[in-house]
Amino acid sequence: MQRIRDYYQALGYGAPYRWAHYAEVPFAALRKPLADSRIGLVTTAAPYQPDKGDQGPGAPYNAAAKFYTVYSGDSAADPDLRIAHVAYDRAHTTAADSSSWFPLAQLRRLAAPANSGARIGELAPRFHGAPTNRSHRATIDQDCPELLARVREDKADAVILLAV
Amino acid sequence: MCHQTVSLAARHLEKNGIPTVIMGCAKDIVEYVGVPRLLFSDFPLGNPAGRPNDFLSQEFTLELALRVLETAPGPRTTLQSPLRWSADPAWKLDYSNIARLSPEEITGRRAEFDRQKEIAKTIRTEPRAAG
Repeated sequence: MQRIRDYYQALGYGAPYRWAHYAEVPFAALRKPLADSRIGLVTTAAPYQPDKGDQGPGAPYNAAAKFYTVYSGDSAADPDLRIAHVAYDRAHTTAADSSSWFPLAQLRRLAAPANSGARIGELAPRFHGAPTNRSHRATIDQDCPELLARVREDKADAVILLAV
Repeated sequence: MCHQTVSLAARHLEKNGIPTVIMGCAKDIVEYVGVPRLLFSDFPLGNPAGRPNDFLSQEFTLELALRVLETAPGPRTTLQSPLRWSADPAWKLDYSNIARLSPEEITGRRAEFDRQKEIAKTIRTEPRAAG
């Protein structure tokens, strides 16, 4: 974290960034076995926008591809998501294989009805995209309640969140 | 910001009774925020669900996340995946390391950073409709 602070200060940010920090952490236990549970998925990846410049594997950081409102997609489809809008490690990985940051297909396999003894009961009908906002306030006041509302609509019993 | 965003989201879901697990590669940020459950992969940022183009690594990583979801005894439970990115850990020193950049590289990145900040600001103030 100190390295990231130093980096962005050297690039011209004034005050060092202050990450959110809490003494208390909430906890909710699973109410039923995973094999009977509906699992939701939340990602910080962005839908591909052909008019917003290079978002391909290894593309330089591309702020034009960012998004600032929660979006949702069909879990049964294979969405074209990209991570060019976030600061992943471009020196050591390329983002070429979306399964390394968005395990939707993997989860579908675990929930397959034909798969007797399925690991999870089912996948929620939608996955959700969370905007990566520098402002804690925007995330807490706008995006978190919106994500909760959508997860509740989906009747998800538990949620896996992927941080790119 | 990705790790902070999902950490805040996990906290909010959990506070409202929905169990969560985060899959991520930046343990320090997630633990600093404070979350119920984390599966940590010590991989370059961008690979929270396993090694690219490696089905077994991805399958194993997801299984670990499900185990954390099932077995965490309480909040702030972190499980570290035993998988390694490479035998040589030198890759860990490169990310956002100002000490490893030349003055010319820093100047170039600063200019690009300012340009990207302006672009992001424009989008933020004119949010597009999203479903």
